[in-house]
Amino acid sequence: MSAHSHADGQLPHEPEKATLEGRNKVLGFWLFLGGETVLFGTLFSAFLALRHQVLDGPPAHELFSLPLVALATALLLTSSLTSVFAVYALHTHRVKALIGWLIVTVVLGLGFLGLEIYEFYHYVHEGHGFTTSAFSTSFYTLVGFHGAHVAFGILWISLIIAQLMKKGLTVVTAPKVYVAGMYWHFIDVVWVFIFTVVYLMGKVV
Amino acid sequence: MASNHTATEENAKRHKVEGPKKHIIAFIFSILLTFIAFATVISGEINKDFIYIILIGLAILQVFVQMAFWMHMKDRGHTFAIIGILTGVFIASTCVIMAEYWAWW
Repeated sequence: MSAHSHADGQLPHEPEKATLEGRNKVLGFWLFLGGETVLFGTLFSAFLALRHQVLDGPPAHELFSLPLVALATALLLTSSLTSVFAVYALHTHRVKALIGWLIVTVVLGLGFLGLEIYEFYHYVHEGHGFTTSAFSTSFYTLVGFHGAHVAFGILWISLIIAQLMKKGLTVVTAPKVYVAGMYWHFIDVVWVFIFTVVYLMGKVV
Repeated sequence: MASNHTATEENAKRHKVEGPKKHIIAFIFSILLTFIAFATVISGEINKDFIYIILIGLAILQVFVQMAFWMHMKDRGHTFAIIGILTGVFIASTCVIMAEYWAWW
């Protein structure tokens, strides 16, 4: 056993914050999310400034279909809930439930990503390519960056699941799960602004 | 192994781990706010600027709920975390306001 294990072989309360390294990781991740907020803030700024410059391409209210966006929102929101269940399983030291909820989160994330790929494919066939107009470029950059974050999160959480299966729940693996959960919630929070600013405000004529 | 399991459960009970009830309430609240936002746009008989204000208000409210409950921001020991994320929010909102009101001035 590693030096990180407790003498009685039991995990401490809130194992993600049991070590200084764990606490530093959580704080450092909050600062990283502050930086991510700025990144998405600038992408939103570009989109807001350019969203009416459609040239020959289809305008937002003709392009977007709300049922598709509603389904994507439901998938991502539910995956955020399942990742919070994973952190609850972490706090109650139930490794099997933790791995189970993380798998559900990854599957829901894949569903979201699949919808987005279908959506982009459909838009390109409607004449809304990346270089069609300032609106289309800023749209694909903003929504695509979010999609890339989802893809990265899926890969990251999958690797953590593999590590949990191999090493179990320790004070080393616990901060990783907690921080990945924070990342996943952040992705959902960004999506709230995307469906509001891009899709819903785009539909208002 | 079985005795170890019950010991873990007792340990969890002693420290009063926050149950999933609050998270489910936050989820229902998020669904509700999302539904209102979509319904406002679909009904669409209201003034455009007024709809924008409602939508942005609903989004900020939902983000606040999710960050407080799901990201555990309401828990103690998050002072520097809040300072860090608020700095990001401040810079981001400056950019957004600039783009929305000054870019085409």
